[in-house]
Amino acid sequence: MVFEIHPLILNILVNFAIGLIITVSLNLEVGIAGISQFGRVLAVITGAIVAAAIPGRLLASLIGLPAGVEYADHIINFKIVDQINRILAVNVSLSVGILFFTLILAALLGSFIGYICSYPAIRLKEAYLGITLLAFGDVVNTIAWNVDPIAGGTQGVNVPDVFRWIGVGPERYLGVALILIGFGLVVFIFVERLIRSPFGRALKAMRDSEVAAKVYGKDIVRLRAQALMVGGALAAIGGALWAFYTGSFKAVTYTRLTWTFWPWAYMMLGGIGNNLGMLVGVFVFSVIRTLIYAYKTELTAFIPISPQWFEYILVGLAIIILVLFRPQGLFPEKPALTLPRDEVEKIRQRIKKE
Amino acid sequence: MLDLILKAFAYSGGIALTAAGITLIYMATRTFNFAHASMVGWGFYIVFAGYSLLGGTPYYYVPLAALFSGLLGILIYFGVNRYLLKAGASPITLMMSTLGADLILLACINIFTDYLTEEYKLNARYFVLELRDISLGMADSVNIRAIPFISSAVVVLTIVGLHLFLKKTKFGIAVRATIENTPLATVLGINPEKVYVLSWFLGGALAGLGGGLLSLTISGYPTVGMTIIVTMFAGSIVGGLSSVFGSLFGGFLVGLSEYLGITGLSLAFGGWILAYRLIIPLAAMVLTLLLYPQGLAGIKIEKFMLKPLRIKSQSKEVKKYGV
Repeated sequence: MVFEIHPLILNILVNFAIGLIITVSLNLEVGIAGISQFGRVLAVITGAIVAAAIPGRLLASLIGLPAGVEYADHIINFKIVDQINRILAVNVSLSVGILFFTLILAALLGSFIGYICSYPAIRLKEAYLGITLLAFGDVVNTIAWNVDPIAGGTQGVNVPDVFRWIGVGPERYLGVALILIGFGLVVFIFVERLIRSPFGRALKAMRDSEVAAKVYGKDIVRLRAQALMVGGALAAIGGALWAFYTGSFKAVTYTRLTWTFWPWAYMMLGGIGNNLGMLVGVFVFSVIRTLIYAYKTELTAFIPISPQWFEYILVGLAIIILVLFRPQGLFPEKPALTLPRDEVEKIRQRIKKE
Repeated sequence: MLDLILKAFAYSGGIALTAAGITLIYMATRTFNFAHASMVGWGFYIVFAGYSLLGGTPYYYVPLAALFSGLLGILIYFGVNRYLLKAGASPITLMMSTLGADLILLACINIFTDYLTEEYKLNARYFVLELRDISLGMADSVNIRAIPFISSAVVVLTIVGLHLFLKKTKFGIAVRATIENTPLATVLGINPEKVYVLSWFLGGALAGLGGGLLSLTISGYPTVGMTIIVTMFAGSIVGGLSSVFGSLFGGFLVGLSEYLGITGLSLAFGGWILAYRLIIPLAAMVLTLLLYPQGLAGIKIEKFMLKPLRIKSQSKEVKKYGV
């Protein structure tokens, strides 16, 4: 038996982890590459659909249960997923394998989505591009909502519980929270390293001056496509993890408000372009949002309005105040310092020796 | 069939007005107004609340809805937009600021809805005002309602009114001059601030007007604006975002093609396709953006005119205003 942690803290941790993955991927595209990504939900819902549609079907066909169109029927679906979960509960390696297989698949599809997005992204500017990507997101949401055979449509489907081997009680929530935090930090470090790589510097150059980047021989079209592909892959991983965590998939919960505009607010609070700021921005908002949800009933005693609307007002006000008084966010992006001269010389000597 | 065409006209008229509002604000202040969604939503709720609480016909409250949303526009201008314009913010920042305003307005609509539900026991979370519309009589066993005609008439009146205002009045010319070239207009003694306030007011009023009229065609719920904002943006972009008349036309076209197109497709393929009606305006918008970024209004008719004719028409205008 593991020692118990307050479920509120675990909730905050989970929201923080998923928010971090999505926001960091958004920051890579908006803050570093300068692409106005207003369709983040597109890649997120793609990842969630992968988690909802693929692993369950795969396991169902392995154990001889219906895996075709009838898998997505919600009456049959929960029975199938229940059987799958019983198998997953005793088979750790299978669970982990399925988890990683799904994440890789989600990342591949997410990057494919990013590649498609690059078609308008190299032709349109700023607001126009934002509106177009927003429209793409709505299309995929409408399709997921209405096509039952993919992932249950309006009824949704259950997602196989790949964390069942941890247990079913409080230890499950602790384990899942830790795993998700792990994923969040891995994604964060990956993007941090990416930003500091030659690729990241090229993206920044493109953002600051497209013409100058072109002059130095950078292929703008390719860079934009690559940034969108990496961002899309990361966001899809976030979406898939969220679907695994919640254990169910419903298209209606993947709105542009929750998965595009909220992450934008997180990013603006942290400071657009500053990856470290994302940690703070996401953390502050996850704490506030989780607390508002947790103390719903207590809050209604103080303020006469429903806490959900209170949350909207809070986020709206935060965006406006940030835009007006601190457009660079809490932690503005700092110019990346180059190495001192003697350090560079040392590295040069070392390379020469080799 | 008659019923369908009338409904399509009523719907498209509302969309055309809201699209014109988006374009007007964009032209004057370079701001893509996301708050349009909630402004339209407020239009729905002003009409609903007025009709449910005070009676009469819903039409009495449509002008009130326009006025209210227009005031919301002024509020957003003075609260957020004015400062950002002075600071020379980027289009994306301007867009984000209206998103923040939209969230607050959306929360306010929801609070108002809760208030109506609890205080007056109204069914405010979901309402249909269509049946409260005035009936003009029956034709082919179709109950002809007033909204298609009123909606179309309002669109025509808006076109005429805006045309007269922009082309014939001194302030209208000042508006056009500011939109064309703000520094130059400022040099000539035009106060751009007045133009910005006016365009936010008119843009908001068009949103309220469109929302009020749409509430008689489609069912209302707090997030109705968020659902149809894509169609509104589509109309605005198909119209080219550079001319109010273009976006009135674009909005009408998009609304009509959405309403009639999806019904036509459902007759051909079956009712399941009705759920995808949103894809028609989205496709129209994306295709316009990718294939013809200037929109329909960007097609230069003058290019096809003979040269002397063009010069003549210009000199006429110069003489008239004595510039």
